[in-house]
Amino acid sequence: MSNDDRITLECKELTKTYFSTEPPAKVLHGIDLAVRTGEFLVVMGASGSGKSTLLYSISGMDRPTTGSVLLEGRELTSLDDAEMSRVRLTRMGFIFQQAYFLSNLNIQDNILLPALKAAPGDRDAVVERVDALMERFGIGHVKRHGVTQVSGGQLQRASICRALAGRPAVLFADEPTGALNSSMSAEVMNALTDVHGDGATIVMVTHDPACAARAERVVFLRDGLLVDTREQGAWTAETAKQREDDLFSWLSSNGF
Amino acid sequence: MSLHAPESWSFTVTIRDSIALRYSYNDLTRNKGVNLALIVILVFSAFLMATGSMVIERVLSSMDQFFDEARPPHFLQMHKGAYDRAELERFASEHPEIDAWLIEEMLGYDSAAIAWERSSTGEGGDLADSLIDNLFVTQNAEFDFLLDENGSIPRPDAGEVYVPVAYREQFGIEVGDLLRVQTAEGVQELRVEGFVRDSQMASSLSQSTRFLISEDDFAAMSAAGGAIPEIIVEYRLTDTSLVQDFQTAYESDDALPKNGESVPYQLLRIVNALSDGLVAAALMFASLLLVAIALLNARFVIRGTLEDEVRQIGAMKAIGLPNRTISGLYLAKYRAMTFLACVVGGLLAIAAAQMLTRTVQVDYGAAEVDLVSVLVPVLALAFVYVFVIAICRRVFGKIRRIEVVNALVHGSTLDDRQTARRAAREVKRVRRTSLAAFGGGNLNRRLALLDLRAEARQWVLIPIVMFLAAVLMTLPMNLLSTLSDPAFVTFMGSPESDLRADLEFSEDVDAVHGDLLAAMSADEGLENVRAFANVLYETEGEEGWEVLRVDVGDFSSAAMPFIEGGPPGTGEIALSVMNAEKYGLATGDEILVRLDGEPSNLTVSGVYQDITGGGLSAKMQGEVDAGAASYTVFADTAAGADTAELVAEYADAFPSAKVTPMREFMEQTLSYVTDAVRNAALLTFAFGLGVALVITSLFLKLRLTRDRQKMGMLSAVGFSTNELIAQVRGKTLAAVVVGTVLGSVFAATGGESVAGSLLALAGLGIVDLEFLPNPWLVYLAYPLLLISAGYLGAVFLTSRLRGADKSSWLRG
Ligand SMILES: Nc1ncnc2c1ncn2[C@@H]1O[C@H](COP(=O)(O)OP(=O)(O)OP(=O)(O)O)[C@@H](O)[C@H]1O
Ligand SMILES: [Mg+2]
Repeated sequence: MSNDDRITLECKELTKTYFSTEPPAKVLHGIDLAVRTGEFLVVMGASGSGKSTLLYSISGMDRPTTGSVLLEGRELTSLDDAEMSRVRLTRMGFIFQQAYFLSNLNIQDNILLPALKAAPGDRDAVVERVDALMERFGIGHVKRHGVTQVSGGQLQRASICRALAGRPAVLFADEPTGALNSSMSAEVMNALTDVHGDGATIVMVTHDPACAARAERVVFLRDGLLVDTREQGAWTAETAKQREDDLFSWLSSNGF
Repeated sequence: MSLHAPESWSFTVTIRDSIALRYSYNDLTRNKGVNLALIVILVFSAFLMATGSMVIERVLSSMDQFFDEARPPHFLQMHKGAYDRAELERFASEHPEIDAWLIEEMLGYDSAAIAWERSSTGEGGDLADSLIDNLFVTQNAEFDFLLDENGSIPRPDAGEVYVPVAYREQFGIEVGDLLRVQTAEGVQELRVEGFVRDSQMASSLSQSTRFLISEDDFAAMSAAGGAIPEIIVEYRLTDTSLVQDFQTAYESDDALPKNGESVPYQLLRIVNALSDGLVAAALMFASLLLVAIALLNARFVIRGTLEDEVRQIGAMKAIGLPNRTISGLYLAKYRAMTFLACVVGGLLAIAAAQMLTRTVQVDYGAAEVDLVSVLVPVLALAFVYVFVIAICRRVFGKIRRIEVVNALVHGSTLDDRQTARRAAREVKRVRRTSLAAFGGGNLNRRLALLDLRAEARQWVLIPIVMFLAAVLMTLPMNLLSTLSDPAFVTFMGSPESDLRADLEFSEDVDAVHGDLLAAMSADEGLENVRAFANVLYETEGEEGWEVLRVDVGDFSSAAMPFIEGGPPGTGEIALSVMNAEKYGLATGDEILVRLDGEPSNLTVSGVYQDITGGGLSAKMQGEVDAGAASYTVFADTAAGADTAELVAEYADAFPSAKVTPMREFMEQTLSYVTDAVRNAALLTFAFGLGVALVITSLFLKLRLTRDRQKMGMLSAVGFSTNELIAQVRGKTLAAVVVGTVLGSVFAATGGESVAGSLLALAGLGIVDLEFLPNPWLVYLAYPLLLISAGYLGAVFLTSRLRGADKSSWLRG
């Protein structure tokens, strides 16, 4: 959607080795990747190829072993834990395969939590923004519900609201539809596409070609290395079927 | 779970045991930290239980064996001064229940008059540091034997002496040393031939001790003068159940000698068992608390295990394994752990019991280790084992209610109804909170509080354990500080003072008393001089008139505690607990007494506790300076004056007075008890702290494992590791503080009555124990230490969260 060529997020020669195992697990072997501002990027690859690791490493959840990560020009690898948390709080949003929520807060409070933490003095504005987001993604009526009272699709849309509430520079999603059936999956992907339409930068990991078809660019990861990239332009509902087929054959050629 | 291969399930029933073992082994090695913590607590409880029961068994059987051999009297009466032997013979002939009786003559020497010397090394010294009476006696013929260390009855030759074992401990006297006794005519030299145990005076609470010499030396020393002659009239009865009646008969007989203490057999036994009994009771009590703690933990861990492994359990149920088989599989681990803990705890206890009963062995000799000695701790441990397993079995009973579908599909241990109920609870909770309307403040604190509320059922473990640990630590310590407190004498029936002078009956006792009182009152080094006379009143008992020992003096200002009523005014009398019980009197009742045949009616003004002299005493307001059986003068040392110097001064000036520095005296007489209780207090102190540390660590370890995904999520949305750590530490601190504070408060209030009723059961004349705690220690230092220990567990466990890759939390 965006033809902006500025770079929001960039990693260079990123490697990650987990030392908790014996022998240490070398997962990423040197990744160079730049995410353009407003871009919808999808990472694909076989199970265990290191997709999640890449996502966690560039978002500062895990500390990269070597290499650098730049967010809006700022080096992240040299930040300490508190600074990195601050960056996640104010500049990043996360959506996971499972919708992790605090069961002792209602849906609205769960969404408010990080935004309130980021701007404690701005409560009314934050509440207003969150309410608007919830209405927009069709969960305005379950605000006061408990986590166990809503469907998986609603929960995942709540995740999106929570990720967006802090107005992040980049949205990370790790298989956001992995635990959903196809209709709920479509609900969530529509929401993400919508968000992207507003100019959000999205980095998403997925196994599902139908989801990946929504992205502007797909990169393919194999054994910790980026082996292929596919630019596929902006998604429209009309071209959806065609894009999926094309993507599928590209994936097949990569041995997916 | 290690049951990978589905085929093995079909064999499970037949090879169940080996699978159970394999499962146990795998699980034990996999969850090392958690299992280790559980084993530690189980070992603690098994250890204390075994130690307590062993100490009790050792004490009782050593004492039984010793009493069998030494044949102590069933009733004894001490007396100083003249007495009529013919009257005693008449009394004996009138009482067929007397099996044997004797009059033991004794020569009492001041501690400073006895010195010892080792010619080989030149070491030596006197016994002046000992504050109890030293009585020289000859061996008895029929009963009340002094026994040597082999349990045989020594009969010293001329020039030989057997010294009380306690002095070997206190002064390091050895066989072969010379003992020099200062008589009026010169020095009597005796060679230490051995050491004796004394069934009458072995107890640390006894105020005198006996040396054994030959008849010839006794005659010589007696002739040489310088000793205070004293007798004990002793009786063995055909049946110990007759002692009480016999005592009454003796005391109501006017013609018999009785100006000293009288002691019935039961009291001898109780006083002997008191110190070690207290320790054993404290240890058993501590062990019960620890068993409770261990059970709470086992329950917590088991519930966690069930939740973790619910899918496997569902699978096993799905293929038709009976519930019993499944729970047996899991139970095997707890059987193994508890068994191991009992064995280890039992072995450790052998060493600990050995240490704790060392004084018992010195005083009474070690009893043979027989079947019972082994059986008692084994049974105690079996009790622990059976109890723990029974509770575990109950918790595993939950397996029955796990529904296959819920387990396999939702990974939930709950059935539909429980799931619905839990959801309803959550909804209700969620409705009551709102961040949207939350008026600022600290978000982390808010989240922590919400967690505590939502997970109260889990977190409650910590306050309960801390509560128990606080009680565990505080009670023995309070007992110890009470026993070591100078005011404890008031429980023993005498006022608090620095110095005490006793004048026992003698020809010129009235005159000496007058001089002594005058001198002390005029002394600028002394203040608050109070004189009491011990007057032998009579009152009507079941069999007619009997002796009532009354302390007469000024009680108006005496700060002694009364458990009911208050100090006596004119026309009133205060009774000791045991006297009040004996005569069935309470405050306000009337009692008829007579002195020199003259009767008078007195009102009971109050009841106080007294454990001295059999606990039978009374107090009356007044002044008596003639005709008393004995006198006591109490005084406090004025600022700047030295108690020891004053004691020496008065002992010199008034040789017939026994002048005692009270604080040192209390320390010495109670030292065995306090030492023993101190050991128990230290042990429980260490265990209390250990438990606090281990349990919070164990709890948090499981809790943090369970909260990983939540922490991963919070971290992703922008909470720093330090904030997450602070939340956990804050929750722990809150739980720990609540439990500790409640525990300390309980120990201060309810605990007193628990310990008090234990003591009351001992029948010593203490019915109401008021703790004299060291408040800084037990209400400040201890809780702070306990809280620190618990918090330390939290610090220790949470600090490991730093530096972790947070993705690993989300990966589950
Ligand atoms: N904390 C960790 N410690 C050790 N090894 C890890 C850790 N996390 C992941 N790995 C390993 O790193 C490799 C890559 O894992 P990662 O989760 O990034 O793969 P993925 O591409 O996301 O797989 P999937 O599609 O299954 O989610 C795997 O082999 C995994 O076992
Ligand atoms: Mg992944």
